Amino acid sequence: MTRLCALLLRSLALTILAGALLCFATSLPASAQDAGIPDWGKPLRKNVQNPRNATPAAPPAKKGAERPPAKGEPAGKENVEADVSSRTIAVTSGFTGTEIVVFGSVVNSRQPSAEAGYYDVIVVLEGMPLPLTARRKSNVAGLWVNTDMVSFESAPSYYAIVSTRPIEEIADEALLQKHAIGLDFVRLAPAAISVIETQPTELKAYKDAVIRLKQKEGLYLKEDYAVIFIGKSLFRSSIALPANVPLGPLTARVYLFREGELLSTFQSRVRLERSGIELWLYQFAMDHPISYGIAAVLAAVLAGLLASMPFGRRGPA
Amino acid sequence: MHIYLPIAEMSANVLLLLGMGGAVGFLSGLFGVGGGFLLTPLLIFSGIPSAVAVGTGAAQIVASSVSGAVAQYRRNNVDIKMGVVLLAGGVVGSVIGVKMVRILRLAGQFDLFVALAYVTFLGVIGVLMLIESINAIQRARSGNPRAFRQSGQHSWIHKLPFKMRFHRSKLYISAIPPMMIGAFVGFLGAIMGAGGGFIMVPAMIYLLRVPTNVVVGTSLFQIVFVSAVTTVMQSSENFSVDIVLALLLIVSGVIGAQFGAAAGARLKGEQLRLLLAALVLLVCGRIAWDLVIKPPDLFSISKALGGP
Repeated sequence: MTRLCALLLRSLALTILAGALLCFATSLPASAQDAGIPDWGKPLRKNVQNPRNATPAAPPAKKGAERPPAKGEPAGKENVEADVSSRTIAVTSGFTGTEIVVFGSVVNSRQPSAEAGYYDVIVVLEGMPLPLTARRKSNVAGLWVNTDMVSFESAPSYYAIVSTRPIEEIADEALLQKHAIGLDFVRLAPAAISVIETQPTELKAYKDAVIRLKQKEGLYLKEDYAVIFIGKSLFRSSIALPANVPLGPLTARVYLFREGELLSTFQSRVRLERSGIELWLYQFAMDHPISYGIAAVLAAVLAGLLASMPFGRRGPA
Repeated sequence: MHIYLPIAEMSANVLLLLGMGGAVGFLSGLFGVGGGFLLTPLLIFSGIPSAVAVGTGAAQIVASSVSGAVAQYRRNNVDIKMGVVLLAGGVVGSVIGVKMVRILRLAGQFDLFVALAYVTFLGVIGVLMLIESINAIQRARSGNPRAFRQSGQHSWIHKLPFKMRFHRSKLYISAIPPMMIGAFVGFLGAIMGAGGGFIMVPAMIYLLRVPTNVVVGTSLFQIVFVSAVTTVMQSSENFSVDIVLALLLIVSGVIGAQFGAAAGARLKGEQLRLLLAALVLLVCGRIAWDLVIKPPDLFSISKALGGP
């Protein structure tokens, strides 16, 4: 029976695909490019310009006085370099979520061992900013009804933060806020109209609700102690992507801290996109909705008749 | 075993979906209704976005009704003329309903509207059927002959113009009531993701007085075509038909329906109606519960509407 079902499903999928092919065989390559995500190219790398942690051109005497390099260790500015385990994640029909490993190393590490806790690393994996609507129910004549709403022009579709220890211990709030590090500082941009119409305290309640609900959906997550140093310079962390993660590019930002001071950052990107039949169906549905609807009806009729065919002779004709 | 649904944009358990489709299919075969009124709430309870549940429901109804309609047609249980009149109204209702879905989604009131529509119609029909079937069973127990359709009885419905002769149903009535019923059911089908058999069948029996043996076949005939139109409309207006989800529900549903139909043949009409009434009221109560009980979180979030 299962084999029959699988066979039916496959033949139906093929029918739909054939329809899809006919409908937009010529336009597919163009639309695939349009819908595609720009090629990110090489990972970006940025060094934080910090007066205390000046460029190598700065007077060496001052720097040396402040942080003398340990004997036998290379002198020089610490940098962080990192990458993700897979740059492109294909979402196919079997997608049930995945795990992204972010790993990297501290260049010119002065850390004597992995357990020293000399550096703090925070990794933020953030999805695309997308518009979102938050609504609040209140009781109207005994029924719980959506009565108020705040629209957000953008809210990250996904936000994961992992760190070597609780982020409050790593840096002060101003710095965390500046870099949108931590669930309290996720960049939520309410629409202008909502800002005018809503009390500031109300707006705060809505923002909190968005973060709380996203956490409940498993789309915003935070894990202290999830970045682990393996050697004196090498670190890694793995971040769970749930099955319901909205598709699109993800940005992985790696921050290197020492004693509350941001030493270096690094950025890398992950593409999370539909692939195979999922991509075809989605594009078909979005680009040719009427043909898709007709194909859906034909598939339904075919499936309905085929699935009932083995039973056709039963009962009075 | 999970599968990623491309339009719903979520991963769902295949076995759960197949089980739901099969169970609803069994019940729909048993009672001769589309089953959409059970499937759509079930899908919503299981976390499928309500718009996708409603849109996909339409496609599922096409499939579940088409085999039933063919079977009924073979048994000569379809009044084609009546079906076409119902269908004409149904298409108009469906077009209006699909537009309404879009407006309600934008206003953030779609979920509420769906719930209210379900509670109202399931509640009213469930209670009516319950009373009717209990009376019928009592009549049968007391030994009195079952009250058949009184052909001499005329109501305001029979005074309307545009009278047509429906041979198969042995009726000579105005085309306006069936058209209105068709439009109303088409509208609700678009909004509730149900074929509307649960409204169509009682309306045909009690308002139009169509003979019971023709009712199921004719309503199935109409539902196939109206649901097909609704599916295309939901795809183009709301981008809410998930073909993968639909196929899973269809294959299991159709197979379940065959077993349901076989089981239904062994039960008496009154008993069937009593069971269906109980089921309808159960679903109604479950939806009403969610509306009345204070939700654990007053806030909810939804992404901006999809589609270009």
